[in-house]
Order: sequence, then structure tokens, then C-alpha cells
Amino acid sequence: MLVTEADYLLAAGEKKMKSSESKGAAATREVGNKRSLDIREHVEQDDYRTIGSPFVDDAKMTARNVNVFYDEKQAITNVSLDIGRNEVIAMIGPSGCGKSTFLRTLNRMNDIIPSCRVQGEFALDGEDIYGEEQDTVLLRARVGMVFQKPNPFPKSIYENVAYGPRIHGLAHNKSEMDEIVEDSLRRASLFEEVKEQLDKPGTGLSGGQQQRLCIARAIAVSPEVILMDEPCSALDPIATARIEELIDELKENYTIAIVTHSMQQAARVSQRTAYFHMGKLIEVGDTKQIFTMPAHQLTENYITGRFG
Amino acid sequence: METTTVFLVLILLTVISFLTGRKRSHAVTSGQGGARALHSLPKHYGYMAGLWALLPALTVLVLWLLFESSILASIVKDDMPGELWQMSESEQGLYFNQVVGYARGATDADMLDPAQIVAGDHYRALAESSRVIKALLVFVIALLGALLAIRRIHPKLRARNHVEKIFKWLLFSCSLLAVLTTLGIVLSVLFEAIRFFQAIPIADFLFGLQWSPQTAIRADQVAASGSFGIVPLFVGTLLISTVAMIIAVPVGLMSAIYLSEYATRRFRAFTKPVLEILAGVPTVVYGFFAALTVAPFIRNVGEALGLHVASESALAAGLVMGIMIIPFVMSLSDDIINAVPDTMREASLGMGATMNETIRKVLLPAALPGIVGGILLAVSRAIGETMIVVMAAGLSARLTINPLEAVTTITVQIVTLLVGDQEFDNPKTLAAFALGLVLFFVTLLLNIIALYVVRKYREQYE
Repeated sequence: MLVTEADYLLAAGEKKMKSSESKGAAATREVGNKRSLDIREHVEQDDYRTIGSPFVDDAKMTARNVNVFYDEKQAITNVSLDIGRNEVIAMIGPSGCGKSTFLRTLNRMNDIIPSCRVQGEFALDGEDIYGEEQDTVLLRARVGMVFQKPNPFPKSIYENVAYGPRIHGLAHNKSEMDEIVEDSLRRASLFEEVKEQLDKPGTGLSGGQQQRLCIARAIAVSPEVILMDEPCSALDPIATARIEELIDELKENYTIAIVTHSMQQAARVSQRTAYFHMGKLIEVGDTKQIFTMPAHQLTENYITGRFG
Repeated sequence: METTTVFLVLILLTVISFLTGRKRSHAVTSGQGGARALHSLPKHYGYMAGLWALLPALTVLVLWLLFESSILASIVKDDMPGELWQMSESEQGLYFNQVVGYARGATDADMLDPAQIVAGDHYRALAESSRVIKALLVFVIALLGALLAIRRIHPKLRARNHVEKIFKWLLFSCSLLAVLTTLGIVLSVLFEAIRFFQAIPIADFLFGLQWSPQTAIRADQVAASGSFGIVPLFVGTLLISTVAMIIAVPVGLMSAIYLSEYATRRFRAFTKPVLEILAGVPTVVYGFFAALTVAPFIRNVGEALGLHVASESALAAGLVMGIMIIPFVMSLSDDIINAVPDTMREASLGMGATMNETIRKVLLPAALPGIVGGILLAVSRAIGETMIVVMAAGLSARLTINPLEAVTTITVQIVTLLVGDQEFDNPKTLAAFALGLVLFFVTLLLNIIALYVVRKYREQYE
């Protein structure tokens, strides 16, 4: 795993170096002009087509022709994307590109924003997510979410993890609840660190521990999919490494969609990567391919760190 | 010169000093590259000069105004014939008031004796020169201050730091003023209350079950013996406050939850100001609403149910007081619930919790300290509320917990004690101060409890 990571990064780095050094700065600009794609420019054409392979055979979740508006402003334009079973898919792109918005449409978290309007077809195991008979309570129990900033409740560690099972009535007595809490904390590889202080407030933990507590809280209701919205952006590198290891373990049992600003992270943890730009899904493909041979100029510009 | 004129001229001097100071700061650096060579901005030098002109002179003016009349009076009194000192203290005051009245031209000379007229003329002459000296002194000090400051202006002078420091002390003295005023009020209440407790034992006051403060002022008057037991008043206050809180807390809290969590932005933008208007209605208006509309309504309903309801009842007063407090509770709770970070809502909703569960299990516990604080503030208001109770709850100090009967409260009794004929060395009048002291301590106690609760049950979010 480590070797491949390094390969991706090396490859990306080499590419950048080659283009800037061997051809020289003027030549680069020429190439840029010819293809006329600055990352800060608007993608003009309306009927753009996503490059790569947005669809998979064994899809856990599917999204088709998604448009999202905040009042009059369009945040996402005609995005179609599948999320495969037990895969980790990374969504990358510059700030404001709509990747977080897209993630939040998957468990209808955008419902709580009054100005937000979602169009398109979404399905979880073939079941319509935005359908009449869909209940957000049950949907969110199946599609859990971990947020950018660790947000444990101001309750004890135990109560934080027990919150979900309680509201969904998953445990019938104290010992079952204890079991769920311990199991979830173990899966989030936090149990050993906190087993002596389960009754202490969750807000007293360190940032990385808090985020693992939030992951434990999310998996306590046994979701099928976990959405992670930049889960490491508020953490230091060591805590980030723990979370990344954890994601790697979790993919055995869960389908994971992760939004990240760190391309190294996307390269390390995901099998597929989707590149968003200005509300459009530019390119999707195997992570290895995206980071070594991006097909679209915008993707290449972004992953080589030329812009942003 | 009139004080207003002195004040206006002082302001003018301040402005001129500001302009001069600013100009001077330019002048002192003219050879050295202009304003760039200054330590501070030119306006800071201006502020410095202005403040130096204003503050010392203003202090002198205020002190002069505070002590002017008492100093004048003592000078005039010293020069008056000795017969004055044979009168009793209150007669002296009256006698001298006529002198001052004559000096100001409010009292006719033919009503006074010659000694008073002499003293009055003396007083008038002194007041005249006092006015002139005051004006001159203020102007001289202002000019001196300004000159001193302007002369000090130099490129290296740290005028900005100087001005910042003056402002810090200015703000500090304002807060000190507020604290000292409060302290003064408490002390004056305390001393009068001590005088009361010299006449009535403190235990009788705190634990007595009878309240009938009508004592005889003259020996030949027929009146009650005067018993000052506070318990009926206290129970009446608590009864009415309880009724008020039973109305205000649930309605206020729930409407706060609705407004902050469910209401659309437009509804909220419309409703909050309307409720804040409700909070601004003078309590006397609530009072006659309670007395003329609610109390008869309750009596009629009670009679239809076969209950005996007094025409002025604790229920009517409490109900209306509750309505008065609703916006108070609502506005405070709304602010506090809004202050709970959105990440908490997202976390809970993202787990599949309903809005209801999120509110009950996450938002309210997180907002609890603030809500409790708000409710206790509301209780303080209910206990201190006067007008509604005066008009709607009656005056009879009955020891009862039946909200359908007329009761009275501490505040109402303070009003009745201080209205009408009274003497200031009579326990009846002094009782008002003792009641005030009790109110003060109850409110203080509530605030301490509030602090304790807030600290103990706080669920700390970042």
C-alpha cells in the first residue's frame, strides 16, 4: 500500500517537474493556451460530459442527472455518479466545487437547508432516496455521516455512541447497549484509549480522538454507507494517519464516500476518485489512473498542484 | 452665566482645542517630512488637546454644581441671627426654604419677616458671584488644560497611547459610577431598614403571619395596633409569580424552539419584532387589561362552575403577568438555542434523529444553562412587578395559596405604604424599606441559584 502511494505521488510530481523544467515556462504557457483551460475559468459548455467511468456494475448508491440549487444559484450541474459496494470513493476538487454539496445530497442532509433545491434520481440499493415513501430517519440510519469538524455531543463518551442506537431502538437492555458501544468504539479503534473514562465528556478528548468518537457514533447504528466530509481537515498528521488506517479497515464492511482537500489522502485511502470543478463532475476513474494519467486537463492541473 | 451656556462654551473650547492640536501636530513636523514623522496620527494629537481642555474643566463644573447650594446655604445661615437655631430642625428647613425661594424670586417679600429678606438678599448676591466665579474658573481650567496639552505636542509624543489611556479611565469611571450608585441605593435601603428593625423585632417581621401596617400617627387616632408579619406578602408574591411562570415558561420556551428551529425566515422576521413590541407595552396597560378584562372574565367563568372567585384574584394578576413575561423568556431562550452550534444539529440529524429528538436530547441540554438563567431572570421580574398586581390582585394581605382569592405582594405594599399621609420616623413608612431589602435579597438569592445551576448542569460545547 505504502509503495503504491509513493508511486502515485512520485508520478504526479515527476509529471509536474517535467512539464515545467524540460519545456520551460514559456512552453508550458503555450500548451496551456492551446488547451485554454485555467482552473479558475468557468467551464463554458452546458452539455459537458464526465470523462472516465462514473458508472460501476455493482453500485451501492446511484445518482443520475443531479442538479442542486441554493435559491437561484446552481451549485451542482448535471452530475451522474455511482458508488460501488464496499469501495472507498474520494471526491476532490477546489473549494466551492460542489463536492460537499453532492455528498450531502446522498443522505438528504440538504433537506435541512431551506434554500436548497435538489433535482435528479438517487437510489440506495435500487430504492429511491428522494421518493415519497422514503423516510429520512431510516435513510440516515443506513447512510451515516462524519463531518469536517469533530462534533461530539456535550455528553459522555458512552452517551455519544449510544445516541444513535437509542433513537433507533437498537438495544433492548443495558447489556446490549454496552455491547454496541464497546463494539463501535473498537471498530473505530478508540476503545483501548477511552475504556477507563466512558463516563467522561466526549468534548474532553483530543481532536483526533473526537473524530474517531464521531466515527464510532456513526457506525453504532450499523449503517451501510458512511459519508465523510473532509474528516481530517481539522486534525494533525498523526491523527490523520489513524483515521486513514481506520477508513482502510472499515471498507471491509462499509461503503465509504470521502470528500477531501488532500490529494495524498485521496490517493492513500480510495479506490476510485471523482474530480469536481465548478459544480460539474469532470472526471471519474480508478484512483491510480486519475493520479498518474488524468485524461482531462483540469484534473491534471489540479492534481499536479498547478492551481488552487 | 447660566450653566447651559457655560457647558456649550466648554464644548466649543474643546472643539477649538482639537483643531488647534491637530494643526499644531502638522506645524511641529513641517521641517521633518510632515505627518510621517509623527509618532501618532494628527487626530490623536487633536483628541489629546480636546480631552485635556474638556475633562478637568468638566470635573470642576460638576463638582461645583453638586456642592454649590449647600455651601451657599451654610454661609448664609452662619450670618443669620441666632433665633433661627432655637427652632426645631424641620421648622428650620422650612424657614430657610422661604429664604431661598425669596432669593430666586419665587416667594413674595410681604410673606416673610425682615431677617429672611436680609438673608435672601445675601443669598442672591452670593449666588450671583458664584455663577461668575464658576464660569471663569471653568474657562480658565479649560484653556490651561488645552494650552498644556498643545505645548507638549512634539513628534515623539505618544499621543495615541495617551488618548487610549484616557479613554480606558473614562470607561472605567463610568462603570464605577454604576456600581457606586447601586451600592448607594442598597445602603440607603439598608440604613432605613435598620431603623425599622429598631422599632419592630426582625423575627416578628420575617415570621409574623399578620400584616396590617396601619398604625396611629397621632395619639387620638383610631387605628390597628400595627403588625408587620411579612409571610402573607411573601406567599402572595410567590403565588402570583408561580402562576405567571406556569404560563410564561412553557409558552415562551416552546415558541422560542419553534422560532429558532422550525419557523421560516420570513415568519421569524415578522414574529420576533411583534413579540418585542409586546415586551415594550407599559405594565400599567397590562394592569388595567388584567383588572378590567381578565379578572371579571375569570370571576364569571368561576361562577359558572360554581366556584367562589374574588373580583380581584391572584389568578388574574398571574395570568396577565405571565403573558407579559412570555416575550422575555422567548427572546432569551431563542437567542440561546440559536447559539448552539449548527454542527450539533447536523450530527444529530445525520444519525437519523428526528427534529423532535434533536431538540430534546441535544439542543435543550446544550442550551439549558442559558435557559435556566433566562427563566430565573424572568422570575426576578415577576417578583418585582408592581403595576399589574396593584391593579389586579387587590390589597388584602391574606395568607392563602388559593389563586382564586385576592392576595397582595411585597411590591404592592411598598406602594401603599409610601402613598398618602406619612411620617418618616414611623414604622409604617420605614416598613417599605425593610420590604425593599427583602426583595433585594430574594432577587440576589435567585441570581446566585441561577449561577450555581448554570455551572452545575452545563454541557459544554466548544
